[in-house]
Amino acid sequence: MWLFALPALLINICIILVPAVLTFTAAFFIWDGVGTPVWAGLANFQNMIADPVFWSALTNNFIWTVIFLTVPVCLALVMAAALLMAPKARIVVQSIIFLPRIIAVAVTGRIFQGMIFSPATGIVGWLNEHGFSISDPLADPDRSLYAVAAVDIWHWWGFLAVVFLSAMRQISVDQIEAARLDGAGFFALFRHVLLPGIRPTLTLMLILTVIWSFQVFEFIFIVTRGGPAYGSEVLATFAYRHAFFEGDVGQAAAAACVMSLFGLCATAVYLWLQITDDAQTT
Amino acid sequence: MTMTRRQLVAAIPAAALAANLPRGARAEDGRKVVTFWFGQANSDGQAALRNDLVEAFNAAQDKYLLQMEVKGAAVNNLLKVALVAGNGPDIVQTAGPAYLTAIANAGQVLPLDDFAEKYKWKDRFLAPLLNTSVYGGKLYALPRDYESMHLFYNKELFKQNGWKLPTNRQEMEQVADAALAKGIIPFGAGNADWKGVNEWLMTVFFNNVAGPDNVRKALSGELPWTAPPFVEAVELSKAWYNKGYFGKNYFSLTIEQSFLQVVNGKAAMALSGTWSFGTKSYGMSKPDTVMDVAPTPSLGSAFTGSLVHLACGATLSIAKTSQNAEGAAAVFEFMLTRKFYEAMNRDWPGKWALPVKDLPPEMLQGIGYPLFEKTIANLHEAFSKGQYGFTTWTFWPGATNSYLIEGIEQVWLNKITPDAYLTRMQTLFSQEAREGKVPPLPPRTA
Repeated sequence: MWLFALPALLINICIILVPAVLTFTAAFFIWDGVGTPVWAGLANFQNMIADPVFWSALTNNFIWTVIFLTVPVCLALVMAAALLMAPKARIVVQSIIFLPRIIAVAVTGRIFQGMIFSPATGIVGWLNEHGFSISDPLADPDRSLYAVAAVDIWHWWGFLAVVFLSAMRQISVDQIEAARLDGAGFFALFRHVLLPGIRPTLTLMLILTVIWSFQVFEFIFIVTRGGPAYGSEVLATFAYRHAFFEGDVGQAAAAACVMSLFGLCATAVYLWLQITDDAQTT
Repeated sequence: MTMTRRQLVAAIPAAALAANLPRGARAEDGRKVVTFWFGQANSDGQAALRNDLVEAFNAAQDKYLLQMEVKGAAVNNLLKVALVAGNGPDIVQTAGPAYLTAIANAGQVLPLDDFAEKYKWKDRFLAPLLNTSVYGGKLYALPRDYESMHLFYNKELFKQNGWKLPTNRQEMEQVADAALAKGIIPFGAGNADWKGVNEWLMTVFFNNVAGPDNVRKALSGELPWTAPPFVEAVELSKAWYNKGYFGKNYFSLTIEQSFLQVVNGKAAMALSGTWSFGTKSYGMSKPDTVMDVAPTPSLGSAFTGSLVHLACGATLSIAKTSQNAEGAAAVFEFMLTRKFYEAMNRDWPGKWALPVKDLPPEMLQGIGYPLFEKTIANLHEAFSKGQYGFTTWTFWPGATNSYLIEGIEQVWLNKITPDAYLTRMQTLFSQEAREGKVPPLPPRTA
């Protein structure tokens, strides 16, 4: 059995374990990325904790997590349930809502930045010309994070809906029919049959959402680069800035360790839930 | 040379990336290959690089074959990784002395003194620019260009409104207020696609308010960044932002969109750099009937008149591990030919303005772009005389410069005070100065 696992194991060691160990090690060194690393002990972590931008980035990661655990999940669940009930519309609607997922992140980011939010070339600009006073949310440090989150939700929720729909289709048709015969409406069916029926999938997606939320980078980097005034800064953009603009790889690695810590916590919760489920089953 | 465990750990990811690069290769015709990675270049730039540099160099001699790859915006990161692994290109181009410092301090590039002696480069380059690449008495790079911030303005708009070219802060604010009253944006500016626009503006505020002598003192550690002249500079930048001098959409517009506002008469002026000449989409033309350009005026009491700012947008070095250092030096020597200077500046103005000492007027006239020729001639004279300020991207060390760019947004958007901004800048600068990360400072004359 171990022989079968060997190729995957080797790949994981090379592309995950080795970089992870090197990153963890780098967090304890002062290194500009090109010279000789110098031992720094916990200095990188101390500097990071003393930096208010780190705390605002961490807070933004938590806000991002809460947004993505609620808004796209709710949208996707309702859409999946609706599509389950309306099989004729399924193929067309699934294709439409899945489409944003296959558009490159950079393209999506630029579309929203230039064609929607821009006061010069976007819908916001058009609305302003027609008497509506709307400012570009990406230019406001208090709203920029939510604006980028909206872009990512547009890109993400359709995929989530398709995943939930696939899980719902595994639920026994008899069970759904029986609930209907007992007089269950859409929301009763949703609450008492569909949601419990997809609980393992839902749990997995929520756990993955937590992990991904602490790794979020692309959309923020492309659309706002963490600004303005650090308004949409998250841990990944914080780390990137330190590594590649400030030549402070150690500090970036320390931030990466914090990101990984939250991912590990989420993974631990997932494993614990699995073990609990297994225990209940047996 | 023995490698320490730390160096070994640092080299592992780099080695993995660069393991497959060819080293000291020879072309089919027996020429030795010289490799060169370039960063970002628009379509005009790529054509100019291909025609005026690569093909022209390869046709001009038969010993070496220049091979160039345009790597895009990530070139600085790729280069660092490849150099640590000992597999970088022969010609190492950095984004200026602030980037070169780490690479030179780490000994990843060769001292060029022997080549400089052989080709007499020290007699042929402007000393203030060449000296930005001298570390520990050794020359590690050649400056690829010089740049400066300038005041670009719509001369038609100025003429229509009876505005005169401002020569001090009071006149500048009078023009700006008059423009605002007419619904014209005083300065076309936007950083949606490049946050570095913040430092373009701050280069002007620091130098033109606090004065270049105070800036030099601060960079050499004789004056803290928290000193009153710098507080005044940051406060003025905030006052101008809050008065709407940079328009309502500074964080939403791209550089191109904001510059076009000036060309189209929606904005009166732009504080931008000499690289603006090399981007056709900015809307300037040869000859230009709408736009004009001038050095930036004094904005404080530290000096009178106008000022240009010393900047080196890129440096050229030879990798320590290069198998073909002679070939790389031959490319540098080719760049010093008059034919190359004229062709490159004609096809991609402002991007490869090699800071040569000998720049006769007829050489500039060959470029065929009067506004650019006038600007370069003026810049050349000022740099030759030592009359310049200091650009942030050339002389500020990495972390300080990054904070200068990011933190000023917090000041403008009322998240922190100018004092808090400068205190943080001073903390970062002190640390980087202790670590030897401040690029060499050329002297200046009053």
